[in-house]
Amino acid sequence: MAQPDKAQCRAGGEQPDENRAVIDGATTGEYKYGFVSEIETDIIPAGLNEDIIRLISEKKGEPEWLLDFRLKAFRHWLTLEPPTWAHLTIPPIDFQALSYYAAPKAKEGPKSLDEVDPALLDTFNRLGIPLEEQKQLSGMAVDAVLDSVSVRTTHRERLAEMGIIFCSFSEAVKEYPDLVRKYLGKVVSYRDNFYAALNSAVFSDGSFVYIPKGVRCPMELSTYFRINAAGTGQFERTLIVADDDAYVSYLEGCTAPMRDENQLHAAIVEIIVEDRAEVKYSTVQNWYAGDSQGRGGVYNFVTKRGLCRGDYSKLSWTQVETGSAITWKYPSCVLAGEGSTGEFYSVAVTNNLQQADTGTKMVHIGSNTRSTIVSKGISAGHSQNSYRGLVKVAKNAVNVRNYTQCDSLLLSSTCGAHTFPVMEIDNNTAVVEHEATTSKISEDQIFYCNQRGIPTEEAIALIVNGYAKEVMNKLPMEFAVEAQKLLEITLEGSVG
Amino acid sequence: MSAAEAFGQYLELCRARRERSSLRGEAVRMLNDEAFRALPAAIEAYRGKSLDCLASCRPDVLFAPDYGVNIDALAMYADVAASFRCGIPQLQSNLVVVANDCIHIPEHLAGGTDGIEVYRLSEIPASLTDEVADVLSRTADSRNVAMLLNGLLLNDGIYVRITGTPERPLQIVNIFRSDMPMLTARRIIVHGLSGCHGQVLLCDHSQSPEVNHLNSQVADIVLERDAHLELYDIEESCASTHRVFNCNTVQEEASSFNVNTNFLSGGTSSNTWHIDTVGPRTETHLAGLAIASQDQTVDNRVILRHSSTYALSRQLFKYALYDNAHGGFGGRIIVEEGAEYTDAAQTDRNIIVGDTAHMEASPQLEIYCDEVKCSHGATTGQLDERALFYMQTRGIPLDTARRMLTQAFMADVVEQVRCEVLRQRLHILVEKRLSGAPGSCEKCAGACHGQTSNE
Repeated sequence: MAQPDKAQCRAGGEQPDENRAVIDGATTGEYKYGFVSEIETDIIPAGLNEDIIRLISEKKGEPEWLLDFRLKAFRHWLTLEPPTWAHLTIPPIDFQALSYYAAPKAKEGPKSLDEVDPALLDTFNRLGIPLEEQKQLSGMAVDAVLDSVSVRTTHRERLAEMGIIFCSFSEAVKEYPDLVRKYLGKVVSYRDNFYAALNSAVFSDGSFVYIPKGVRCPMELSTYFRINAAGTGQFERTLIVADDDAYVSYLEGCTAPMRDENQLHAAIVEIIVEDRAEVKYSTVQNWYAGDSQGRGGVYNFVTKRGLCRGDYSKLSWTQVETGSAITWKYPSCVLAGEGSTGEFYSVAVTNNLQQADTGTKMVHIGSNTRSTIVSKGISAGHSQNSYRGLVKVAKNAVNVRNYTQCDSLLLSSTCGAHTFPVMEIDNNTAVVEHEATTSKISEDQIFYCNQRGIPTEEAIALIVNGYAKEVMNKLPMEFAVEAQKLLEITLEGSVG
Repeated sequence: MSAAEAFGQYLELCRARRERSSLRGEAVRMLNDEAFRALPAAIEAYRGKSLDCLASCRPDVLFAPDYGVNIDALAMYADVAASFRCGIPQLQSNLVVVANDCIHIPEHLAGGTDGIEVYRLSEIPASLTDEVADVLSRTADSRNVAMLLNGLLLNDGIYVRITGTPERPLQIVNIFRSDMPMLTARRIIVHGLSGCHGQVLLCDHSQSPEVNHLNSQVADIVLERDAHLELYDIEESCASTHRVFNCNTVQEEASSFNVNTNFLSGGTSSNTWHIDTVGPRTETHLAGLAIASQDQTVDNRVILRHSSTYALSRQLFKYALYDNAHGGFGGRIIVEEGAEYTDAAQTDRNIIVGDTAHMEASPQLEIYCDEVKCSHGATTGQLDERALFYMQTRGIPLDTARRMLTQAFMADVVEQVRCEVLRQRLHILVEKRLSGAPGSCEKCAGACHGQTSNE
């Protein structure tokens, strides 16, 4: 149908200049974590073929079955096309131009912190990773991943006493091959989607967590991912298994240094939750989003899915997404066990020319399963922020309950906020609710704050933080601080 | 059958007719030309994504069976039109009957005495040819395969020109009667001139419940500045009748458009409401109800694009699904850059009763502008157990209690009907439908056929 000239309908809607200026100022904060650390890296030639996959597998000393898994995934990947259904404009990616493996050059394994490359330690310090002694006392076990290979793992012994396995993926393959083989690809099959197949073929490293029966993990498990060497994609793979009655809270945080070249990140997270177990997975994502002109920035194409296999199991996803040029990410729950619970709490902030298409899938297979979705989108600049969600109730799932709320906050007249929820219900006892609102910060709210002596800039921060609080409250204490900081950096000019 | 084959069969069929150039009327030829021009590319680009609508409501599925087409525009069933009145007691309407695809317009309507002019598309006066072409160019969608196919297969259509405030609503009754499977292409073009206030009522019926029928229906609506249109659509056919309905509407400044769509019975009903509000201060109200049982399928897709300031829109859709019925709802509100002060709300409420009933809802928002107020809500569930229990304690049997509550649930949608007589009638139709009136027209709740003129 005929569309009017957009320029013609631009009448009205101008904000008072002062507020506009503050919002503009507040939303143009520069990226605080942009730097490149000078560490020697071992990069294999660019390109992707069976030989490269064999080379990756060989470099990591992997068993035959894992190489087979990779090759099967690669052959399947060749038959696939990148997905185009998301509300994203993705420039064509030349998958043959990327290097699929980058590891810090192998040295003697460090036995104490003194032996670790000071440059590396400095990188971590600048990122604020609590790797040092005093930070260990803060109660976090950190498996820091720098460009795909696990550098150092802390708190291993203490966790090992309780039977908890928390190690890098490649170590797990060597030390607990049966466990890895039993669970690998069981939640996210290599046939799942284009990027899952790619990851399955070339994944370099990641984390493996196993919580045995009846064990409550005494600390928050944490891992930091970074993309460091130029021109390398990063393909992490995380596998978390919580056996009967176990509990674990897992934190994942990302910061990436400034780059002009677009970088690809295609990760997979698989979680298996057995009877009465609970897993809480929190993410703060702050990959480099590109500069204000849209140059550079990370492409974040992630497949995250948890299987609540056990009865009365629970899986909770919490995410704060502030970074990446393009985000394509749908942490999902398959609620198969009777009475299992899935939760998804998300704050997604987009600024400048960022694009985010994120949300969740709640697949109710078991009876009496419940799910809650709370998604808060904040768009500024020229960004596009979409929520995409699926709530599916299978035929035999009785008494299913779902509540979905997805709100969007618009901070500029040039950004976009979209919601694409889908509900598929095949059972007549299900109760599924969805509600969404889209609005901007009202001038009344700002005026009220001004009246109480709060400057406009602080008022906006206040309102945004209040808006996101429902989700922030779900983050573990240590993370909530970092997440708050990220929100500030992304939206507050004075801090960035 | 692939999508290309499903659509392509009609292209071949119509090519022969085109060579004979047996089409009557400039407007019909124009639609036909457009279809031949755009259809190959549209079929090429067609992706039957299940996300767009229910899988069983996709055009390539509905158009795939081998239907007969009245390719030579044979005038049939005039007797049906003569004997048929879709009775709504007390409703004084201007009645147009479409028997399969043959149109019967009372002569007095062409005169334009009552603020309304109705023409057959094949007999448009020369003075209005350009106007019709202009309306069609504004509502055309060169990517919509179902609409293009309608233009391709069309023998004739109805052009409604609302010039003032007609006293009586225009009632268009579509009747199907045939001994063999048939596809009927029906088109209604409504042009609301500045300052007009019109009411159009569409009724779909079938008198041949044992024969497969595909009703390809398109409504092109253009509302000029300050034009007001109420469109009521009642579908009460039978399981063997399937419908593909596209309503494309363009709203100019300060116009209002009220839609009330009611699915009471039928086979598969796939409806797309595509509304563009291009002028400022428009008002758009869409309300729909669907009561589906057995293997009936209802799918409503709303694409509401606001591209000017101060637009107001409200949507309310309610479904009750029994037995193995399938329901689909997709509502997309698009607020374009610059469409400041848009106020758009969308509500979808569904009750699932049947053990194997299936509901898919996807209420979507696409917003490119910050000074807006938009919301959507969707729920799917059951009747309130406590309310049912309360009614039982008051001596009301469970079945009756369920019916009463469902009727109350649907009443919100019916209440949106502004035409008093029609609203009363709809309440009764909903009640009768819920108390188990069978889906065939022979015994339909309207009990319309065989009546004498209601004028």
